[in-house]
Amino acid sequence: MALLDVEGLRGGYGTTEVLHGVNLRVPSGCTVLLLGANGAGKTTLLKTIAGSLAPSAGQIRLHDAPIERWKAHRRTRAGICLIPEGRGIFRALSVRENIAMQVKGRGVDAALELAASYFPVLGKRANQAAGTMSGGEQQMLALAHALVTNPELVMADELSLGLAPVIVDEILDALKRMRDEGRALLLVEQYVERALELADYVYILHKGEVVFVGEPAQCASGEVFHRYLGSAA
Amino acid sequence: MRDYLPFIVIGLTTGSVYALAAMGLVVTYTTSGVFNFAHGAVGMVATFVFYSLRENAGVPTVLAMAIAVLVVGPVIGIVIDRVLLRRLHGAPPSSYVVVSLGLLVALQAFIIVLYGPATRPVAAIFSQSTFRMPGVNVGYDQAIIVAIAAAAGIGLMMFFRKNHLGVQTRAVVENPELTELVGSDAARITTFSWMLGCSFAALSGVLLAPLLGVDAVILTLLVIQAFGAAAVGRLVSLPLTYAGALGLGIVASVATKFVARHPSLAGIPTSLPFIVLFVVLVLSPKGSFAEVTTTVARRVRYARHNGHHLPVRTGGGLLAIAAVLPFFLSGSHLLTATSTLAFVLIFASLSLVVGLSRQVSLCHAVFVVFGATTLSHLQQWNVPFLPALLLAGLMLVPVGALVAIPAIRLSGLFLALATFGFGVLAQNLIFSTDFAFGRRAVVELHRPELLGISLHGDRAYYFFVLAIVALGVATIEVVRITRLGRLLRALADSPTAMESIGINPTASRVLVFCLSAFLAAIAGGLLGTLTKVVNPASFDFFQSLLWITVLVTAGAATLGGSVLAAVLLVSAPVVFSGGTFLEWQPVAFGVAAMLLAQAPNGLVGLFVLPDFHRLASRSSWRLGSRRAAERTVSAERTLSKAVA
Repeated sequence: MALLDVEGLRGGYGTTEVLHGVNLRVPSGCTVLLLGANGAGKTTLLKTIAGSLAPSAGQIRLHDAPIERWKAHRRTRAGICLIPEGRGIFRALSVRENIAMQVKGRGVDAALELAASYFPVLGKRANQAAGTMSGGEQQMLALAHALVTNPELVMADELSLGLAPVIVDEILDALKRMRDEGRALLLVEQYVERALELADYVYILHKGEVVFVGEPAQCASGEVFHRYLGSAA
Repeated sequence: MRDYLPFIVIGLTTGSVYALAAMGLVVTYTTSGVFNFAHGAVGMVATFVFYSLRENAGVPTVLAMAIAVLVVGPVIGIVIDRVLLRRLHGAPPSSYVVVSLGLLVALQAFIIVLYGPATRPVAAIFSQSTFRMPGVNVGYDQAIIVAIAAAAGIGLMMFFRKNHLGVQTRAVVENPELTELVGSDAARITTFSWMLGCSFAALSGVLLAPLLGVDAVILTLLVIQAFGAAAVGRLVSLPLTYAGALGLGIVASVATKFVARHPSLAGIPTSLPFIVLFVVLVLSPKGSFAEVTTTVARRVRYARHNGHHLPVRTGGGLLAIAAVLPFFLSGSHLLTATSTLAFVLIFASLSLVVGLSRQVSLCHAVFVVFGATTLSHLQQWNVPFLPALLLAGLMLVPVGALVAIPAIRLSGLFLALATFGFGVLAQNLIFSTDFAFGRRAVVELHRPELLGISLHGDRAYYFFVLAIVALGVATIEVVRITRLGRLLRALADSPTAMESIGINPTASRVLVFCLSAFLAAIAGGLLGTLTKVVNPASFDFFQSLLWITVLVTAGAATLGGSVLAAVLLVSAPVVFSGGTFLEWQPVAFGVAAMLLAQAPNGLVGLFVLPDFHRLASRSSWRLGSRRAAERTVSAERTLSKAVA
């Protein structure tokens, strides 16, 4: 039984359909890498799974329970966490308040400690407005949103976009650590080679349909990328 | 200084009440992006419930207060959020303004139907005995009100800083989608903030009742004090809003002592919030008032046939009806018909702003009044009628520009606010001066003789009005199809896109606003000459709000809507005799405007003929379509079988 099971998912924006029947499985504790060219529907797929967008057809099941009609916050509480593209933080709130969004009362200190164990800099900046931190620090805070509620499935949309290579290392290390702790990951990532090292399975999305499912080893030659993405990644 | 201390104490008390109202307004505005023009009306309803429970049902004061503040206020908040606003999601900002205006008009009119317009005195809530402070006696009631407001203010600020729900509320303000993603129910948080804001409105209304009495109009205008204070806080900052409200209260109170010696300035203290609002808007650089809004670009639904050609058939048909009508009418009905005509011009000019430019102007009645008074003054100076009418209109063009320029450059909401402010300001300060009504509070106009034809007779004057209105309406229809009309429609869609192709959005908007003011003033001149006497009560600023709801109800996008609006407002009461209809009329318009705010063209838009072109072009209707071809084939087969 898979943790997340997506079947025949259709959806998009208003009358524009972006996803034309996507099937995808994320087994418990596994890391799935989602690849595809611009406009393939990667972000749309993640947002539809998280509940920010409503699907027009198809099923999304979490532990075999259909969740496609749930609102986003209920899915999050059930253990699905999406770190959206861009900076997924509340800029006007302090770091501590950002963390406090998900935990109440005395839990905040413990949660902040946990976040600081991954990213020490967050502990130092606890009372600073999140919007005043550097881009990398903001992205660490976004990732901390995923840490503190201990979700079963973490979806990350282009976490490393626009960050310095050193910061990217730190972010990817954190993802690796989350995977090693037994969480399932569903990643959209531009550093394909680095992400392949983490992945158990690879899905390639093309024009709203899954065109390739396989293991990272099958992608090693680059032939797969050439065929489906039109370039040697 | 000692002389002023009592006034400062009074000012602190009223300022504290304003602070409660203003903070409630800021809470709902920042969390939902909807500026609630009906904020005062919500407090007013809760205050009337408090009054009825206490005076009529004999409920103890504390319990009545608790019910009003903790039950009635929040319940209204839930209704506003869940019933009125949620279905608007994605609508343009002007729709939100219209809905809250509709609520204001409906609530105020409804309470007047139930309780009547007279002010009712309210017994004090707290002890009125005084204690001695250095240099001044302070009432316990005053001290308690100041303490309540201060506690509520500090509590609110602590809530947003320390409380889990408060932090979540701030998060929703910034990014509702992300709030959902981190596991908080954004919709519930928004509803809660509406409950909180409306509860503050209720509290301020109840505290104000012993000072002013319960009066549907006065309490509804509580929102005005809140506007001024909230403007000091740029509509988003709670501490600045609180300080602004106290400052307003004190300055207004001290000013009453000053103006006691100068009767001509008597309107100043009550107008102070608007002077502040207006000054803040004028002095604010572009971008300093970030409009909090949750509206997302979504396809705005447009009325079909909106402004691509002149409505020759509709216009001609209506003109023909209008031309034969006076031969069937006489006496008061003929006067009503003439008045309806003038209102067609008023609504048509308003539709330029509301329907075409998608901005909301809340001082249209002022333009109408000034049109009438200016014409009266010009008549006294023996200016011939037609040039005088034209001049009366032209005089209002710079006034319109003066009101519109500072606000339009900010955004749609601020034009509504500034015009609202200007409307009340003009009524309080300018109506009593010689520019308008003067000391006698009335102006007289007489009907002229043109080209040897006397317009003293009602029928002759009817045709004169018809000619002018037809000319005005034709001008408006021509504007709709010219480049200016296209620009305005495009601007309503995307100001950014227009700027990117090198068009200054402010210029065209101000231009159309001035044209609208010009035509409204002409209509005012015609109406004044019809009734021959105009006084300040003829068109108070509430009319401006009512007209918006009427126009939106009837349809703001086309000529048919303006005509229907005039008929509904002016002619309908003639058919239904008796006062009940007149009382309920504004309630109906308020409710209808809330329901129709998002309809493409109000009632007129609902009753259009089916689009025969589109129906005809559907394949199944067309001769030679596939289905017809199949039928032919099967018929041939049957035939060939039969032959075989």
